[in-house]
Amino acid sequence: MTLLTVLGMLVFLCTSVWLAVALDTACRGWISGQGADRADGPLRTAALWLTQQRLTTEAPDRMNALLSIAGYMALALTGLALVPLGPDTALIALPTSVVLWGACEALVVVVVFLHGWSPNAPLAMIGAYRYVAIGLPIMLLSMFVLIAAALPAQSLDLRDIVTSQADVWNLIRQPLGLPLFLLLGLSLTLRGPFDYADSADLAGGTSVEASGPDRLGWQIARLAMLTEFSAMAATVFLGGYLGPVLPGPLWIALKTLLVMTLVIGLSHLAARMPVSRMMSLIWMILLPLSFADLIWAGLVAL
Amino acid sequence: MGMTWITRLAAGARVPVFIAMGDGAPAAALTLSRHPGLSVVDTPRAASILLVAGQMPDALIPYLHRLHDQLPHPRATLLWQSPPIPSLPDAIAVDADDDIGRAVADVFAAVLEGKRASAPDILPDAPPSEWRGVGPHGQGGKGMMGGTPYGRPMAMTDDDIRDRLALDSYTAAFGPFLPFFPPGLVLTLTLQGDVIQKVVVTHPPFDHDGSPLATLLNLLGLPALATRSLGDRADDPVLRRLIQLSGARFAIPSGLGRLPDGSDVRTRFDRMTGAAPDAASQDAGDTTLEHLLVGLEWHAAMLVLCSLDPATLRDICKNSDTGDQDETQGESESEMHAGHMS
Repeated sequence: MTLLTVLGMLVFLCTSVWLAVALDTACRGWISGQGADRADGPLRTAALWLTQQRLTTEAPDRMNALLSIAGYMALALTGLALVPLGPDTALIALPTSVVLWGACEALVVVVVFLHGWSPNAPLAMIGAYRYVAIGLPIMLLSMFVLIAAALPAQSLDLRDIVTSQADVWNLIRQPLGLPLFLLLGLSLTLRGPFDYADSADLAGGTSVEASGPDRLGWQIARLAMLTEFSAMAATVFLGGYLGPVLPGPLWIALKTLLVMTLVIGLSHLAARMPVSRMMSLIWMILLPLSFADLIWAGLVAL
Repeated sequence: MGMTWITRLAAGARVPVFIAMGDGAPAAALTLSRHPGLSVVDTPRAASILLVAGQMPDALIPYLHRLHDQLPHPRATLLWQSPPIPSLPDAIAVDADDDIGRAVADVFAAVLEGKRASAPDILPDAPPSEWRGVGPHGQGGKGMMGGTPYGRPMAMTDDDIRDRLALDSYTAAFGPFLPFFPPGLVLTLTLQGDVIQKVVVTHPPFDHDGSPLATLLNLLGLPALATRSLGDRADDPVLRRLIQLSGARFAIPSGLGRLPDGSDVRTRFDRMTGAAPDAASQDAGDTTLEHLLVGLEWHAAMLVLCSLDPATLRDICKNSDTGDQDETQGESESEMHAGHMS
């Protein structure tokens, strides 16, 4: 049974990585006014990256470069394994699964930093430091939002958080929760307004020196993280596997894709501001909002 | 050697092209990101084709060499409306009238299929200056702090102009091929973290119109809108609405990069998007890049640099420190910083 679940999740992960690329290209095509790309385009680009030479800088930290890609991927897989697929089904069934997820999320800051550190190059290094600067307050924000979501369930178990939404989803009970949580998603996946690591003003930031298979590995890990984040947001705010008629795993898959579409849309349509401006926005507006979310959740729970 | 299935698959990919803008680059080079078969990439490490557009002046040829060697194999170079470059004997010349997309796709296919040899390195795969065994510990310099390990000056603590927190200051040449840099511009920047401490104009920008709106939108994390802004429609209501919706205006801090004529990055952005009436021209006065950039973080500094119209930027560069009086900023030093795209 567990083996079957693992296989099912892996198939879902691959499909959703593919869908994420397709949605990304469709979004880009629509906004740029150029229309859709070929459906097999992403696969062909992946093949090209695989055939390209792996070039390095003069004195790279090879081990940490590999560790950052593998680590990013491992964090995405761990997070995905925490997602409940039914009342008792979760690959990693823990009474404190929210805490483990929080740890994974915090470690993303470390692997992204390592990715920028390892090429031994200025633009990559700037991306790495900037990511840490923004990563810390955004993690803080997400912790408040997650604790608020755990309050009605009175448990740190994701399975309980889902069952607590049987009557009304957290999306409605805590209207500030999901919008704030989506910002974390943009940051965890290095996207759009929160892409301070791999951004265009650094010609690709932590990825600027990555070529061939390294580039492919990093991009796949980013998309896996996007899937994982979307599944988590669906679990915490959209009632996870709960839903009529269709089986639970299908519901969570559909809701995951819905959140993923939202994140991708946001990443193409929202502008990124300079770091110091974003820092003020987070500390002075977004963090107080997440406090408000927590207080609101507490009052409702009373 | 026959093509493997994976090479065959790869041959159908959008061709990743890195554009090195030279002097008098064809105007079509700016809108190449709209070409359906090409993907204009931000870094040579992601490219298969190096496209040299326009003439590369002698002063920038060493930079071109370093850029060339940063493309992963298999790779090839095309010279688009560019005179032959002796150090690139294998490069393929493309004329003004040729279909550039077709030419790039053909060369890409030939290189992938192995019909055409991948271009060899121009520079030796060796440290840019000999450092092994130099110094008391063989670390390439004097002492354990400072000195020149790997043949380049080590970052050393220095006073920070912003918060007085003495961090390691780091000097390197940036440009001329950073994708968002005005074509031709090379700046030698001293950074602490990502805060600019010192600016020297090592090579001035070319007399080239560029596509400032697309560059700014890209810097603001809106690449799809940037591509849209390069379209044929002079007044695109959807573009305007999407830019408004994106909060791009709010993302730019007010007062950033103010010129003597009172305009800042935000007002210059408004003029580009058509949200504000076009001014006759920007007035640089005696503004220098030092005035504009020193003390700014990287992202903000790049927004300032790319918000200036080309003529104003050239005036500002003329006012600025060009490193002539400073003996440490010679060709030999920029040669030593074989860092990213520099």
